Amino acid sequence: MKRRDFVKGAVMAPLVPASAALLSTPILAEAATPDKAAKAAKKAGSAGGKVPDYAGSIQTSDGSVTNPDGSTQKGFTHRNSNSQQVDPKAPYQMPLTQEEQDIMDGKKGPELAKVMKIVVGHGNAFGAPKLVELGGAPHCSLYTGTDYMKPMIDLFQECADAGLKTYAPYTVNPRCYDVYNVNNNETDMRLIYEGYKYQRDLDWVHAQLGAPDLNYRSCVCYAPEVGNAPPPGTYVAWAESSATNYGNSALGLRTNRNAGGMELLCGLLGKAPLFGLMTDEGRMANWLVEVKTTKEPDLGVLGSAIGYKVVDGVPFITGIDQYLGTEVSNDNMHLLKKMGSATAAAGAVGLYHVENLTPDAKEKGRNKLMKKGYQTYVYDDAEQARVLATFPVDWEGRPENPTVALIGCPHNTYKEILDWGTKVTEAIEKRGLKTAAIPTKLFCSNVVRDHLVKEHPVLVGKMTEANMRFTNMCTVSYVGMKDFSDRTFAVTNSPKTRNYYPSSRYLKDDALLEVILTGSIPSNA
Amino acid sequence: MATKSFKGRPLLPGNLEGKALASKQPFNTSGSYLENLFGGNSTSAPCTDPNNKEFYKKELGGAIICTTLTVGSSLGGASLMGVASLGLGPKAMLFSEHIDSVSYAGLLMDDVWNGRRVITIDLLGDEFLEAVKTGDPISIQEDGTVMVG
Repeated sequence: MKRRDFVKGAVMAPLVPASAALLSTPILAEAATPDKAAKAAKKAGSAGGKVPDYAGSIQTSDGSVTNPDGSTQKGFTHRNSNSQQVDPKAPYQMPLTQEEQDIMDGKKGPELAKVMKIVVGHGNAFGAPKLVELGGAPHCSLYTGTDYMKPMIDLFQECADAGLKTYAPYTVNPRCYDVYNVNNNETDMRLIYEGYKYQRDLDWVHAQLGAPDLNYRSCVCYAPEVGNAPPPGTYVAWAESSATNYGNSALGLRTNRNAGGMELLCGLLGKAPLFGLMTDEGRMANWLVEVKTTKEPDLGVLGSAIGYKVVDGVPFITGIDQYLGTEVSNDNMHLLKKMGSATAAAGAVGLYHVENLTPDAKEKGRNKLMKKGYQTYVYDDAEQARVLATFPVDWEGRPENPTVALIGCPHNTYKEILDWGTKVTEAIEKRGLKTAAIPTKLFCSNVVRDHLVKEHPVLVGKMTEANMRFTNMCTVSYVGMKDFSDRTFAVTNSPKTRNYYPSSRYLKDDALLEVILTGSIPSNA
Repeated sequence: MATKSFKGRPLLPGNLEGKALASKQPFNTSGSYLENLFGGNSTSAPCTDPNNKEFYKKELGGAIICTTLTVGSSLGGASLMGVASLGLGPKAMLFSEHIDSVSYAGLLMDDVWNGRRVITIDLLGDEFLEAVKTGDPISIQEDGTVMVG
């Protein structure tokens, strides 16, 4: 099947009611209790197993958020979008075009029919009035080739076997490991080869369905070198919390925070159900965040504070355009990425607005974007200090001094690796040092790294001398490796990494530079 | 005990009788199945999420899970597919709130693609979770009616 040949370029057919009675097959399940199930399973005689030490640390970049009291934060509820239905409990079936109905009826093959049934059924649950055509390109968060992903990998292999492809070449999150650039020990290699034993299968599925080669793997799919940055207003179906957050907010795209797998099904179909953050109503802000710090706030702390406060709400942020400017560009992309990814990691924010800066805010203004009955959160110097004080700075059993600097979660942009390379190498020269005190790992896609090699080959040579290495894997997965925090004391400027792994100490850029040069954390950090 | 009846929205309908496994806390789909997802346990599914005091170490295989909604990784839907492929998925998931998009994605994918149905009903209301306790007899009907007791 050729991409798009079933959805693009056609005049919208008239809406017709779905004839298929979706998901209504009654089943009479056998009476069962948990105990009975367990006994039956034991009787079957298959072997049980101990949870490997690393299991709880294998994370996704949308990892769950655990509060200090042990409770977990709510996730992807789309509670900011009301159901389209008058009675949310009433049976609902969105109307389909004749073309969509034909696909549902199997006229484009049984695999695509099942894809359509899933996507439509998902939209029905959230009261979506219709499917919308997707533009730009998909971004997929399926990147862990672990045991539990096997059924999902099998599902998409069946799609590939049927010749399905996404409507456009799509981007994918970075792999969870790197066997070249980070000096893995034996335990790391065991995790990699035992824990991610289906990684090859997953990579192969992506290649068949339309993903480019692994040099483009990145959670920052919107970096110019990776090239997945559709124009404002484009409907897409992305997954990966930081990418959907940036796409919705800084690019003005319209996507929900999709569950892993759903984004790829929508990509195969070229359509997604219209609800939640894809709608005008769902994009209205239910929180006004007034930033009143006396100087430029630490965007990592601010983003975390917003995430903790609004959880899965939509914040409208005032008072920071004076620091970030009034145009989204390659020069402030990394700042919005830093703040936004923190809102998504500390909470479940899929969209934020910045007054006078982000596309929706500039187009509609505060008055038209604020939802009736919104709440207000004032973020001043005292609040910044309070939130920063909640970030852990010490923990039992870690090495005394930092052992590695991790920069880039989400992945670095070109400007970030250029700035960090320049800052570190110039400071080394200025202080008369031979090299840095600790290694620095710069996380970015290979194509972003290659951009720097092409533009500044001498600088890259100096960075290598300064023990700065590029790696294209997922930072969160790396930090989550078994015993990582026992043998490694990581310092980072990433609020996202810090949020998922509090054993990584968060530092502002100036303090982080000092640690890289001296190996010690400044007393005033 | 007197039987109480609740009416929810049957997303993946079906008829079932069994005993409830109830928690007023959200259900962490990834964190609850670590033994199955990573530990090679294919015989039982003890809950591995210590944050959920009501479910921790309880058997989840074949359970009728009564909870608010699910939380956790956006790969939680894949987790549900993973345990279902081992024959250790829940028989039913009964939510007091509106279902979240992560768990429903996994439940729906497995239902449509693999024909593995977990009866799923949401919008049962807070009163449902107030009424139901672990071990209570529970009866689920295809129209979304859930009877406790």
